[in-house]
Amino acid sequence: MKPPPFAYYDPTSVDEAVSLRAEHEFDSLILAGGQSLVPMLNIRLARPEVLIDINRIEDLQTVRVTDTHVEFGATVRQHHLEVDPVVREKLPLLPEMARYIGHVENRHRGTIGGSLAHADSAAELPTAAITMDAEMVIAGPNGVRVEAAQDFFAGWMSTTVDGDELLVAVRFPVPRAGTGYGFVEVARRDGDFALAAAAAQLTLDESGRIASAAIGVASITDRPVRAGAVERQLVGMLPTRASVREAAAAIVEEVTASDDMHATHAYRRHLAAVVTARAVTAAVARAS
Amino acid sequence: MTTTTTPDSTPNSAGDRSGTESVPAPEGSRHRYLGRSMKRVEDPRLLVGRGGYIADTKMAGLTHAAIYRSPVAHGRIVSIDATEALKIPGVIAVVTGEDCKAHMNPCMNFGPATIAQYPLAVDKVRYAGEAVAAVIAESRYIAEDGVDALVVEIEALPPLVDPFKALEDDAPILHEEHGTNLAYERTFVFGEVEDTFAGADLVIEDRLHWGRSAGMPLETTGAIARPGLNGVLEIHCNSMNFSYFVFLIATALKLPSNRVTMHPVPAGGSFGSKFTAHKVPTLAGFLALQVQRPVSYVEDRQDHLMNSDHHASDRYYDARLAVKGDGTLLGLDIDVVDDYGAFLQFGVGTHGNALSQGVGPYRMQNLRYHLRAVLTNKCQQGAYRGFGSEVQNWVLERLIDQAAARLGMAPEEIRRKNFIQKDQFPYKIPGGNLYDSGDYDAVLDKALGMVDLDHWRAEQKRLREEEDRYIGIGLVTTQERSVFSSTEFWYWFDEPAFPITSSPESATITIDPSGEFQVLLHSQAMWGNSPETVAAMVVAEEFGIDPAKVNIRYADSAHALPGTGPGGSRFTVMVTGAIRGASRKLHKKIIDIAAHTLEVPAEDMEITNGRVQVKGAPEVGQELAEVAATAYFFALNLPEGMTSGLEEQYTYDHPLTSLPSADRSDLGIFYPIMGHNCHIAVMEVDPDTGQVSFLDYAAVHDAGTIVNPITLGGHVTGGTAQGVGTALLEELAYDEAGQFKSATFLDYLIPTANEVPAMKMGHVETPSPFTEYGIKGGGEGGRMATPGVISAAIDDALREYGMQVRQLPIKPSDIVQTVLAAKAANGGAATT
Repeated sequence: MKPPPFAYYDPTSVDEAVSLRAEHEFDSLILAGGQSLVPMLNIRLARPEVLIDINRIEDLQTVRVTDTHVEFGATVRQHHLEVDPVVREKLPLLPEMARYIGHVENRHRGTIGGSLAHADSAAELPTAAITMDAEMVIAGPNGVRVEAAQDFFAGWMSTTVDGDELLVAVRFPVPRAGTGYGFVEVARRDGDFALAAAAAQLTLDESGRIASAAIGVASITDRPVRAGAVERQLVGMLPTRASVREAAAAIVEEVTASDDMHATHAYRRHLAAVVTARAVTAAVARAS
Repeated sequence: MTTTTTPDSTPNSAGDRSGTESVPAPEGSRHRYLGRSMKRVEDPRLLVGRGGYIADTKMAGLTHAAIYRSPVAHGRIVSIDATEALKIPGVIAVVTGEDCKAHMNPCMNFGPATIAQYPLAVDKVRYAGEAVAAVIAESRYIAEDGVDALVVEIEALPPLVDPFKALEDDAPILHEEHGTNLAYERTFVFGEVEDTFAGADLVIEDRLHWGRSAGMPLETTGAIARPGLNGVLEIHCNSMNFSYFVFLIATALKLPSNRVTMHPVPAGGSFGSKFTAHKVPTLAGFLALQVQRPVSYVEDRQDHLMNSDHHASDRYYDARLAVKGDGTLLGLDIDVVDDYGAFLQFGVGTHGNALSQGVGPYRMQNLRYHLRAVLTNKCQQGAYRGFGSEVQNWVLERLIDQAAARLGMAPEEIRRKNFIQKDQFPYKIPGGNLYDSGDYDAVLDKALGMVDLDHWRAEQKRLREEEDRYIGIGLVTTQERSVFSSTEFWYWFDEPAFPITSSPESATITIDPSGEFQVLLHSQAMWGNSPETVAAMVVAEEFGIDPAKVNIRYADSAHALPGTGPGGSRFTVMVTGAIRGASRKLHKKIIDIAAHTLEVPAEDMEITNGRVQVKGAPEVGQELAEVAATAYFFALNLPEGMTSGLEEQYTYDHPLTSLPSADRSDLGIFYPIMGHNCHIAVMEVDPDTGQVSFLDYAAVHDAGTIVNPITLGGHVTGGTAQGVGTALLEELAYDEAGQFKSATFLDYLIPTANEVPAMKMGHVETPSPFTEYGIKGGGEGGRMATPGVISAAIDDALREYGMQVRQLPIKPSDIVQTVLAAKAANGGAATT
């Protein structure tokens, strides 16, 4: 479990990193927190010719807060989401979600951008990003472009980041006051990748009916997906245990994951509906 | 005659961890040091990173080996082209099975001789991950680059994954020389099994599968071998028990046994996985001989998971239990197929373990045991905490729970009704093994005093009705055999090749010229347990000195006295016997010297508080340092005929073992020092997700006289954690093509602190009448009981859905599928 030889660069600016990317394109990989990449290097699943370590780029370590958005630089550590009072106040779904990312040791080292760019369909941060309509900030030779999270995840562990590009930040819109949120995950052990997980943000109208709903579900297909059919059923509905459960059942159509040693396909279908219902129920309880 | 006491032991409380002298002996203790909660003397060096493990060992000119592992389950090796690998700067050599065949004998093997094995595959590969070739290079990185550059052609053969399919007539044959995939078959019948089942009021029958897991220490197995002086091959290795088997490594390497020396290296955990771990040192030794340089081979985690030679039991049972209408257990009928994988290095010894306590703690005199050991394309089995006895515990307790449910009896009631009574010991079980002593009611009573079953049974009802929550209660009472005798490895065969009857342990005690104590242990280095703490406490007990003053060292194989090493919870009992024997010899010499010096009769003298003195007149005596000075420096002052020095050694043989009968109607006494435990678990099960959690957990163990409550408590806790792993999480899985699915810790799930219950722990002490101080082994700890108690609690929680755990590990999907199927059968009630 030793990596094959690779060239190592540790640029100190985004421009420098982008030019390295432009030079090496898909022969290069970005090293952020290394919580997934380093094990993949060691078991030779990843064999980059060039490793670009972005941990020395200070610009990527900043958090920018405005009234409407919070933007996290790509190498802000995941642990920040658990402990930062601003995040807790403005984006409460994120601390609720973050405790499910690995273990606290992983979160101290693992980065927000790294998890998003790694794009594991079972990972929590990508699921939260699509649920919260986050925007990905991507730097390339022609400057910076912004892409909606829902368009960013392109398939099994792949994104729209091109060979000469670099994910530099993610921007989360601040939901309006009174938005309820929930995150529910089932894993074999505490800290494992989800067998299924669901994130929900929703608002209620004055009569207690659901006015808007955003639900993202992890680990059921090749990428995290929004539960569009469930959202459509929920909007306008008076949430009860039975009605939520019935709406959540629509998620099972999205489940394509086949049997693996931790979960059967049939179990995942069932579980997807359970976590979706529970996340919605948690969000309803917190909405005002 | 034994007496039972029930000390109030709280081994995890901070107050007990304050060191040696400051912790008084327990109230009413017959001993000065034994029974105290004493901090481990091994810990300080481990905690500051000075463990001295194999991967930290440096040596001039050291080279490193990496292994090319078979990518397929079954195939014929056509060619291995090392041309490109050898071009890589730093690659020194590539060694293959052809080299082994040319220059080695097969590895040591206690299974059929027709199932030979080498450290690198010869001609055929027989499981995914089997070692095929070794690349030796200047660093491990370069060695792995060399492995990548090998071009290996393997002609794939049909894989054997399912042991039942492997037994079919047209199945491909794994070992042509053996001629069949049935490695071994035998049926033992003890008592009147047919009549018992024919006349029983109730017969419980079930099919059960105990899945494959393994001990998973932090540190893998590793060895450094160096061609040394005088043609001696020096092997540094973290394997255990080497004084028992190093001559067999020499045989494999075609060296005289005095030309191989194994040096003890501490092991960062074993749990069985380093028990007689012979392939790694054999391979390192062979590679070093090939390149005539020091070679390090340390398994990485993938090597260990795929190719450790220490996967554990993988058993399929058709089991039957005969019961009388009043709950009396009458007989047990076991038909077991064990999927041993591609080789059988230890024969079927894991089933000897099962037979050592085949009927559990219950009065049952009828037992049939039909074993088929099957060869498949998987890593071979080795040792794991319990060594196969824990599987029998699980099967027996599963059947008894079903009987209790059918008869409307509580789990504690049916067990108590059938316990062997404390005045029935020593008790001979069907099969021939003897239980030395026990008080099973006392253990059960203590456990019931720690978990309020009435409360939890009321809560179970209330939570189900008021909150739609599902909780269940499990209770098991299981045996924990200890101190194996080597006869269990061969009584399976009518004409065994090597019917060994020795399984001793040795110790050497030296009082140096200054009066300081050195103890030499003889079969391995520290392996994660507490051999030094035990040895220090026993020496302290024998001489009345502070245990912190005793220094412990380990002999290499060239100096080692006979020893068998740890395994089967034997080391504490055996090393205590050896130390006590050596102490008695030293006592005599000390007293003889002091009596001669002081001119008093030897029989009037005693050793106490580190001093030799006249009984009743303690002012007449000498410090041990004075006696030591005489012994080393004043030969003319010694009694006539005595020689200089103050060192004694003692080899302690197994305290109670006997031969099997020629017809094997009686297997003899082979595992007589019998511990016992009761575990109670209260668990909650989420029927919608299949997730489980613990609400209460109690473990009460009886390991005879306790040496150190802290370390015994560690065994109970760690064994329970591993029981949780086997029951709920850990799985060494192969797919239908024989590909290994558990090659990293992403998929091989070891319980973390989050998955292990907070435990209430209690101890009962029923001394063994056959061992020194009455100590019994307790090393296997909770793993003997935990899979059973978890299975029972989950069944109890989901009884209304007909939950019946029949397969380990119990996965969330199994639970949910059972619930959904039951709901569908009952008219399809919706889920939460």
